[in-house]
Amino acid sequence: MGEKGSLQNKTYWSTLRKDIARQKWIYILIAVPLIYYFVFKYVPLWYSQIAFRDFKSVRYGILTSDWVGMENFREFVTSHYFWSLIRNTLMYSIGKILVSLPLSVILAIAIYECRHNKLRKVVQTLAYLPHFLSWVIMYGILLSLFAPGDGIINDLIKFFGGQPIDFLTNAKAFPWLVIFSDAWKEMGWSAIIFIAALMGIDVSLFEAAMVEGANSWQRVKYITFPAIKPVIVTVLLLKIGTIFEAGFNQIFMLYSPAVYSVADIIDTWVYRQGLLEGRFGLATAAGLFKGIIGMLLLFASNYFSKKFSDSSLF
Amino acid sequence: MKKKNKQVTSVAVKPTAADRGFNIVVDIFMVFILIVIVLPLWSTLTLSFRPVTFIGTYTEGMFLPPWEWSIAAYESLLGNNGFLIAFWNSIKILVEGVICALILTIPLAYGLSVKDLRGKKLITVFVLIPYIFNVGIIPVYLLIAKLGLTNHLQSVFLPVAISTYNCIIMRSFFEGIPNELRESASIDGCNELQILLKIILPLSKAIIMTIGLYYGVAFWNDYFRPMLYLTRDYLRPLPILLRNILLAAGMNEFVEARAFGNAPVEAIKAASVFLSAIPMVIAYPFIQKYFTKGTLLGSVKG
Repeated sequence: MGEKGSLQNKTYWSTLRKDIARQKWIYILIAVPLIYYFVFKYVPLWYSQIAFRDFKSVRYGILTSDWVGMENFREFVTSHYFWSLIRNTLMYSIGKILVSLPLSVILAIAIYECRHNKLRKVVQTLAYLPHFLSWVIMYGILLSLFAPGDGIINDLIKFFGGQPIDFLTNAKAFPWLVIFSDAWKEMGWSAIIFIAALMGIDVSLFEAAMVEGANSWQRVKYITFPAIKPVIVTVLLLKIGTIFEAGFNQIFMLYSPAVYSVADIIDTWVYRQGLLEGRFGLATAAGLFKGIIGMLLLFASNYFSKKFSDSSLF
Repeated sequence: MKKKNKQVTSVAVKPTAADRGFNIVVDIFMVFILIVIVLPLWSTLTLSFRPVTFIGTYTEGMFLPPWEWSIAAYESLLGNNGFLIAFWNSIKILVEGVICALILTIPLAYGLSVKDLRGKKLITVFVLIPYIFNVGIIPVYLLIAKLGLTNHLQSVFLPVAISTYNCIIMRSFFEGIPNELRESASIDGCNELQILLKIILPLSKAIIMTIGLYYGVAFWNDYFRPMLYLTRDYLRPLPILLRNILLAAGMNEFVEARAFGNAPVEAIKAASVFLSAIPMVIAYPFIQKYFTKGTLLGSVKG
């Protein structure tokens, strides 16, 4: 190494030292959160190697059981329930996107276009509220709405001459209950991001359109909707990135053995196998399987979101 | 939004039939949404006030006049020791959880927002990896067992005390604060800790309230972690108690609901639903103005 190189090296180290000394408080501040990440996020990552082991119980130590290679993965992927779990997971997440996304876009446009200030404010405030209710509370509300004998929904069905249905235990009705109860809970909250985009529209566009003789329908078609189209694309792409998240908290609360065949998603199955049946290795393998696919999807959707709409998650 | 309405109507163009039709469609849709949102809440609320003597369907119960309502369900819940203990546990989880989460999230978000921090890329990657790659519930369950946190209230919020998503939103907010403020404070002799406490935090009330609300809602509503980690009766928070009351629908499982006196079982269930939602509903209007601001910021910049 020449004279020059060592000089550069020296300045590099001394500026580094200076920078660190100057910002020592920041390193002190983030030290505890980083230790937190290490303990609560990275140690579980390390523990996930039990997916490759024949893990029996915590009592015998977590990382001392025998290696079994890909055996747990093989069992999960080749089992008869594998495709039904994948199908259910995708059915719920895609169904929710198909129902909730258009609903929240229409709601956002309606809130934006509504001329009655009071009506608009009441709807806006109430539409956000269900987002803050837990799925346990939602279950309580759904019980009273969908009670098989005398709930309101079944009163309506009877009024129109149909047969009353027990939505919570009927395998045909249950998926609809899951998808629409989620839409009810989240549509107002998901509309916020679209309302934000609408508020950014330049009002002079509307004035020009009015002078040109465009009516309200045409304004929505040519100004309002195009303004939120890129946001819709972004939201859609990000949702595709989390398509394996079908809503564990919701389904776990609503389902029962009667509807397992249509209700069981990967997460609920992992819970039952791992924590009720004690098959930790198999359940962890299924969780890892889902994690890897989820990661790939997230990268893909993030890539396309960057490409198409210039915004991304990270 | 208000501004736009005013300006549009100020333009002297007569509304056509199509415009009027449009407005009517919008209004009908808004009223429809209003009914769809209110109806389930109203049906549950009236159910909770249903007297034992009432015979009729849930639909008929919705039109029961208020002077025939009974508060027996609320009386028996609030007079029940189990319910009060559960409520208290939930409050403890909420307060401890939100404080802990904010104390961990704010410094990390601040550190990641400092432009010229050495090793920032590395730290960001370190934080993002577990966010992108989710290992599932079993390894975390083993960790909680290993740490001996089982049957401690902290096990409910510690595994999720930093949400990377919330941290990213907060970082985006901090990044939006003009750098000159930091620089001038540091010329005045403030160190980074003082800058955070005296300059950044007072400017960040909206985002702290918003993120605090997100954490608070998540901790208050969580039933899964308490179900996994809290097995002792006296540690049960509200969602677990509520879940037990609601699931006690089978023939032999009324034990839980019966313990609550002589109001109708349905009324007890509905009343416990409302009592569990109350803190959220009370806090909601106060924080609403903050969260619309904060959420917009996060979503636009995210």
